[in-house]
Amino acid sequence: MGFLKKVSTALLVLGSYCCLAQTPGGYVLVPAGSYRVGGQRHLLNPARQVTVDSFYIAIYETTNRQFAAFVAATGYVTDAEQRHDALVFSPGLREFEWNNDSTACWRFPNGVSMGGIENKMEHPVTCISYNDAAAYCKWAGVRLPTLDEWEIASRAGAATTYFFGDKKTFIGRYANIWHGKDHLQADSSDGYMYTAPIGSFQPNAWGLYDIYGNVFEFCSGKIKPDESPTLAHARGGSWWCSQASCSFFNSVDIGRVHKRASFSNQGFRTVK
Amino acid sequence: MKKIAAVLLSVFAYSVCFSQEDGTWVEPSKESQAYHEYRLKISRPPDGLEKVLGLIAKVASGENDNVALPQKEYMALSMREKLTYHLIHAESYSQNCDAMPPVPDEHKKIFAQLPDPFGEYSWSQRQANFLAANRDSAIALISASIQRSNRVGINYKRAIIEVNGREMIPLLISTYNKDHKDHDILTLLMILMKNNEYAPFLSSSSYKKLYADETTSYQAFLNFNTANEALIIERATAFYNGLPKKG
Repeated sequence: MGFLKKVSTALLVLGSYCCLAQTPGGYVLVPAGSYRVGGQRHLLNPARQVTVDSFYIAIYETTNRQFAAFVAATGYVTDAEQRHDALVFSPGLREFEWNNDSTACWRFPNGVSMGGIENKMEHPVTCISYNDAAAYCKWAGVRLPTLDEWEIASRAGAATTYFFGDKKTFIGRYANIWHGKDHLQADSSDGYMYTAPIGSFQPNAWGLYDIYGNVFEFCSGKIKPDESPTLAHARGGSWWCSQASCSFFNSVDIGRVHKRASFSNQGFRTVK
Repeated sequence: MKKIAAVLLSVFAYSVCFSQEDGTWVEPSKESQAYHEYRLKISRPPDGLEKVLGLIAKVASGENDNVALPQKEYMALSMREKLTYHLIHAESYSQNCDAMPPVPDEHKKIFAQLPDPFGEYSWSQRQANFLAANRDSAIALISASIQRSNRVGINYKRAIIEVNGREMIPLLISTYNKDHKDHDILTLLMILMKNNEYAPFLSSSSYKKLYADETTSYQAFLNFNTANEALIIERATAFYNGLPKKG
């Protein structure tokens, strides 16, 4: 098992250098081309071929440190700080239940009573809305990935549901997710109940970390042309997602959330 | 602190599907499409409806369309008007993965779970608390509305689960039997039996298929046929008949 794990890691690292040589500034270059995306039986995201221009995608999810720099430079106030409507989780809630904590925001992602981010500067920023992520991108001169770009990068050349195959057996190697059968009891079996520092788990073959789990990553674009203008999409699942509820830690499922909603499992990764 | 009584499960309101191979948009069968729309319709209680709609329209604009009614205006509503407000307007947000991808041939299925009445919105803790605190009134008003309209909108179904309205089972069955169209009423009956841990249902093959495996329950369904329909109604009736009678 240990040998296989080492071989697997070596192949992933090798793959990241062979497939995509350039990683300037913490980004990986995805070459222009035609890519296979979607799932064979997925009605929202069917199997199909898409063509994209080249783009760079961040190796890591955007961190609290990066977001703090944005706020320090601009004085930006997030939706959750204005509206006091961030949604947070604590063990004991039923499936899909979240608490509205008026004190929660990116500085206190689980509410003031749970402490700040002083020791979590390398964790992904959370409790930010789609609009907040877009504001950050504008300031930083980057953008959110499109739904197709995110999927191409997450697959790292794989045609399977997960970049490591069609079975989620090994998801724990690559993703910070919820391993409990429900959310009534705390689960830190993989070392983290909430977010993990970026890069705590193994990357995909293109060297992207936390592409599944940790935080849902906002993407730009729509699934269908006439969907609500208040709707945003995010992909990859999060630390909250379990096999029983929201097993979106894969390359095919597409989440949906209000553009001003601020959840403590919601973050983003940038492209340029 | 507000707690979202976020919806256990939902079907996103997409009425159009892709073909699976080439990705071109393909309309699902007309029957499936019509049933999908039918499933997602909410019921509108008559009590103070115009007034409540007017108040919601005043606070809702653009991306703020789900905001809560200000406390002063909310408190000025009568109990019936408050109920109308809660039943037609969700004040908070749903989680990303709270949407279940659509499936083909919806009209031929009895799902394990109900769709989401409010898309990317969910009832807030204030709203869930209201329903729980006014359970008897909510049941009475929703029952009257169902009797008038012969319809159990998806918001009513969710509210019935929220208040554990098991005494409404005969009304639900009689409403279903009027046209045998709304299979989500059968789903609602099963959820009530499940939530109340009705032993004969928990030991049934239907329960095993729909709810026993938590990793598949949110996509699970039974094929719709008269045998499954009759079995669900029979079990729900037996469950109701075994409930303690009010004095």
